[in-house]
Amino acid sequence: MQVSLTLNGRPRTFSVEEHHTLLDALRDDLGLTGAKECCLVGECGACTVRLNDRIVDSCLVLAVEADGGDIVTVEGLAPEPGRMSALQSAFLEKGAVQCGFCIPGQLLAGDDILRRFEHPTRHDIEEGIAGNLCRCACYYQIVEAVEAAAHGRAREEAQLVESAVVREMPPHVVDQ
Amino acid sequence: MRAFSYARPGTLDEAVALLEEFGSDARVLAGGTDLIIRLRDRTLTPRVVVDIKRIPELAPSIELIDRVLRISAGTTMTDVLGDVIVRRSFPALAEAASIIGSVQIRNRATLVGNQTNASPAADTAPTLLIYGAVLVLVGARGERRVALDDFFVRSGVTTLEPGELVTAIEIPMPSTAQGSAFTRRTRRRGHDLASVTLAASVGRDGSTRLAYGSLGPRPLVFSSVGGSEPPLEAWFADMRPSPTSMRASPEYRSAMLRVLANRALATARARLEAGA
Amino acid sequence: MSAAREPGPLIGKPVPRVGGEGRVTGAQQYVADIHLPDELHVKLVTLPVAHARIISIDPSAALAMPGVRCVFTAQDVVAVAGEMPRFGPQFSDRPVIAIGEAKYHGDPVAAVAAETRDAAEEAARLVHVEFEQLPAVFTIDGALATDAPLVQDPSLRPGDERAGTNVLREHDIAWGDVDSASADLIVENTYHFPMVTQFAIEPHAFIASPDGDGIAVWSSIQHPYWLQRILARVLRLPLAKVRVHAPDPGGAFGGKQHAKYEPLLAFMALALGRPMRLVLSLEETFVAVRRTETEVRVRTGIDRDGTFAFQDIDANYLIGAYADIADRVVGKGSYIGNGPYNWPSARINARSILSHTVPSTAFRGFGNPQINWAVESNLTEAALRLGIDPLELRLRNLANLGDRFVPFDTACDGQWAQSVRRVAELIGWDSPKPAGRGRGIALGIKSGPTTGLSYSLVRLLADGSALVYAGTSDMGQGARTIFAQMCASELDIPVEQVTVISGDTAVVPYDQQTSASRSTVLMGNAVVSASRQVREKLVAMAGGDSAADGVPTDELVRRALGRMGGEISAMGEARKEAEPDHPLGGSAAFFEFNATAVELSVDQETGDITIHRHATVSDVGRSMNRLQVTMQDEGAAIMGLGHTIMEHYIFDAEGRIRNLGAIDYRIPTSMDLPEEMLSDTVENADGPGPYGAKGMSEGALLPVAAAVAAALRDATGVVIRDLPLSPENVWRALQVQRTIPDRGAQ
Repeated sequence: MQVSLTLNGRPRTFSVEEHHTLLDALRDDLGLTGAKECCLVGECGACTVRLNDRIVDSCLVLAVEADGGDIVTVEGLAPEPGRMSALQSAFLEKGAVQCGFCIPGQLLAGDDILRRFEHPTRHDIEEGIAGNLCRCACYYQIVEAVEAAAHGRAREEAQLVESAVVREMPPHVVDQ
Repeated sequence: MRAFSYARPGTLDEAVALLEEFGSDARVLAGGTDLIIRLRDRTLTPRVVVDIKRIPELAPSIELIDRVLRISAGTTMTDVLGDVIVRRSFPALAEAASIIGSVQIRNRATLVGNQTNASPAADTAPTLLIYGAVLVLVGARGERRVALDDFFVRSGVTTLEPGELVTAIEIPMPSTAQGSAFTRRTRRRGHDLASVTLAASVGRDGSTRLAYGSLGPRPLVFSSVGGSEPPLEAWFADMRPSPTSMRASPEYRSAMLRVLANRALATARARLEAGA
Repeated sequence: MSAAREPGPLIGKPVPRVGGEGRVTGAQQYVADIHLPDELHVKLVTLPVAHARIISIDPSAALAMPGVRCVFTAQDVVAVAGEMPRFGPQFSDRPVIAIGEAKYHGDPVAAVAAETRDAAEEAARLVHVEFEQLPAVFTIDGALATDAPLVQDPSLRPGDERAGTNVLREHDIAWGDVDSASADLIVENTYHFPMVTQFAIEPHAFIASPDGDGIAVWSSIQHPYWLQRILARVLRLPLAKVRVHAPDPGGAFGGKQHAKYEPLLAFMALALGRPMRLVLSLEETFVAVRRTETEVRVRTGIDRDGTFAFQDIDANYLIGAYADIADRVVGKGSYIGNGPYNWPSARINARSILSHTVPSTAFRGFGNPQINWAVESNLTEAALRLGIDPLELRLRNLANLGDRFVPFDTACDGQWAQSVRRVAELIGWDSPKPAGRGRGIALGIKSGPTTGLSYSLVRLLADGSALVYAGTSDMGQGARTIFAQMCASELDIPVEQVTVISGDTAVVPYDQQTSASRSTVLMGNAVVSASRQVREKLVAMAGGDSAADGVPTDELVRRALGRMGGEISAMGEARKEAEPDHPLGGSAAFFEFNATAVELSVDQETGDITIHRHATVSDVGRSMNRLQVTMQDEGAAIMGLGHTIMEHYIFDAEGRIRNLGAIDYRIPTSMDLPEEMLSDTVENADGPGPYGAKGMSEGALLPVAAAVAAALRDATGVVIRDLPLSPENVWRALQVQRTIPDRGAQ
């Protein structure tokens, strides 16, 4: 069956077997191996992607179900090529990355937490990544990374608010 | 998994027609969090998978109509646990919906699907049973309603007839003030399949309703009117825990049923008082 | 071997992980992400029984499916090799594929290769195997019974008196005189540690491809050179014609140390002239690798004043149908089973017992967690019965620096009491306990590598950047990062200017293996040696010490190389020679020592344990990278909580595993963490590695179970000697205690 969807911001059309999952399609047909295969029963979260603004286990979604959908994978988290998102940087800084295999899924889950909570608590984060197993068990560091990214965002927004205030100054005032 | 055909009907009539035509060779696909697993391990081998998510009448919705809360077939656990009316008037349902699986699972798993799979351990089933939920079924012969208690037969089996699908769950708003709670027993705090699920409500009129699952072929619900202590032991006598379960032994399940019942009833009573 | 020199400013710093960017952008390629042109997909065929005689294999229905290219069985291997090659790191007992007999539930009997994964999967179901189910042994008692069916053909062990039993080997060490030793208190108990599996999030993956006149293999293997050796022997190819690519494994924990299906895939690739690709499902990894199960009887003698008298240990380790490295696990784990204490007399008898089960292999801790569970739990009981604080009892008998606590091995190499006191401090051992809570403490020790050989090549390039070739497998422990730090430190260049190259036997010089927490010490020393040699050459070429003094490295390089450019390179070697007379083949390069303390409470109605605080302190010599050390220790602690509280294989009456896969085999999630985790290190620069480093990463797992059980006992009085301490098992123990009040309240 032909499937058309938006993948990391780009429209893609491809042909896929009806019984193949979105995970299969991403890895085998669309050239994106960031989402990983592990348990294939929706327990480990290694295959997590965002589908229409919600994170899902892509091993439990048929590729054909995603027709017309908007998908974001780990490859689409960077704001632009060569740069990392604040969350990705925080993961590295906080030591949340060991073997790395669960990390694409953790990043999608972390990104989802940041979208759902303005100021996520530790408990919010632990619950938000509860569907992502990490055998290296860097859970504490992953939680810290998401927290750090949330704080960083809060600081950034505070700065944006400040400069907005400046912009409201009358036009004849010149910056020194 | 074995190959199958994928159908995506755009109307309820089309869906019903497909189910009529293919009978047990067809399977309804909503959230997929149960179906895909069974397709992969081949416990189910349908020829056609009917995706109902593009049918407008079944699109996710939670609406209060004439003191009945109507939850459509496409509504996910995430939708349910976040709904203001559910949280306020049916807190046990919100609790159950919030501990199913993970965020990823809850974003796809539907409330209706949790019933139609007829897993004895379905977390939301006991809560819907104590709230007196009713399922709306649509088939070639039109629409009918079935109380959830009359819907479950045993593991994997319901009173859904060939060619029918469930379009919504209806939960009557409580007629008297009540407090309710959900609890369950698992092997770890992280998401897990429960070895005991339990929901309880107590009403201002002294009535008690209690439902438990994962203790036999289907979840069971019991009720007593006000004026006397609920006959809990008589209710528990109906449990049939599996002797071969990997999750828990019958003795542990039996003991936990009592522990959880006490806790859920205590929480329900506390909520009743708090809401007064 | 040791380096007395002071470390540069980079050492110990939490430098961001090298190779990290690929892991957070999804660019990192694990084996399963790699595709070769013209590849065939392989699916293994197994039987639904624990032990069977293979009568016949009919591939016709499978071969009739479109896209199926072959169904490979034992006869296809024999047709090429003349006889069935056998391999294994300790014994060459494992056939390339089952021949005549399937020896455990999950033992592959055929392999299908097809153009697509779907076709391979479908075809595998169509391979018809006629078999006769045979009696199987899958418990210690069953395997030791006098009439037990033999797992291994006795002809594989000619001249071995045990060949007619399922006991593969006995490992006995003793000193002093246990039988005539006396003690005021003797505590004797038996403890059980179940089968658990590594459950790395990356399932094993393998690719084999013809490569010119040789073969190229991609594997999630931890020991690429060891695999290269096995392949060369089995395929009868020169080492130079066998190329092993070892991309970073997605977690390994020992389960990816040794060859599994690579030899099979290699035969298939050469037979069909096309690349063969096999990625295991998670369920298939459960039947490929696990930890040894144990039953350990401990008889401990201690005097009234708390002085240790004797330790008498008998340990049965249940290994799988093929030895893999499991017998070494038994030998090495039991050897130091007494723990980090001075025992005047000791006797440790351990045996590796074959069974019709998944071949057990290396798993973080390497035989030590199992024996630690028994020995430390027994010490806790002894302390309680003597009325001596369990912390005090341990401190009183702890080995001190220089003590030969295992008489014929490396002496105690650390100020271990510091770690013990630090963990007591972190847990608040002397502070009043909140009501309903219990505290427990346990110590763990493991021998580092006993032999080793690592080479590293360092190339300083014309612009002052450098390449480090190091064959260590970076499976999450951050090896690449610390080698970059060491090289950058020695060459005085920014760490961002160092690239570490690993994972290709054709390009990277020899490294014996990545295990036993050895890499910081062994490969680290090789990297430092190579870097120092390069530095010396550079300085000499740039005009000598005084000329080079204070000059940045890139400038020195320009001066040294002149207009023609080029590079300056050197090879470093770190070698720990075998000691043939030593029971383990060599003495320990260092010890990993850890002290763990736990504070918890128990829901007495349900058996749920809540860990309020988990403290872990490891003696590491010198942290190369403090952040990575913390991550490893905390990760090891949580992994230890997994086997303590929730992990175990569940078998049916016939030896088949019931809980394959992630739904019914539970590992800790983010919701199962201790409320507070406190980790720290003791660093006295007293290790043999660079700047006084020791290895680490296994220590924090070793005593977790014993510490938790001790805290459970402290909180409730219940004693449990069989893991896991699942809610149901704790509840049962509480029930028993309620009906028989004196039980467990000693």
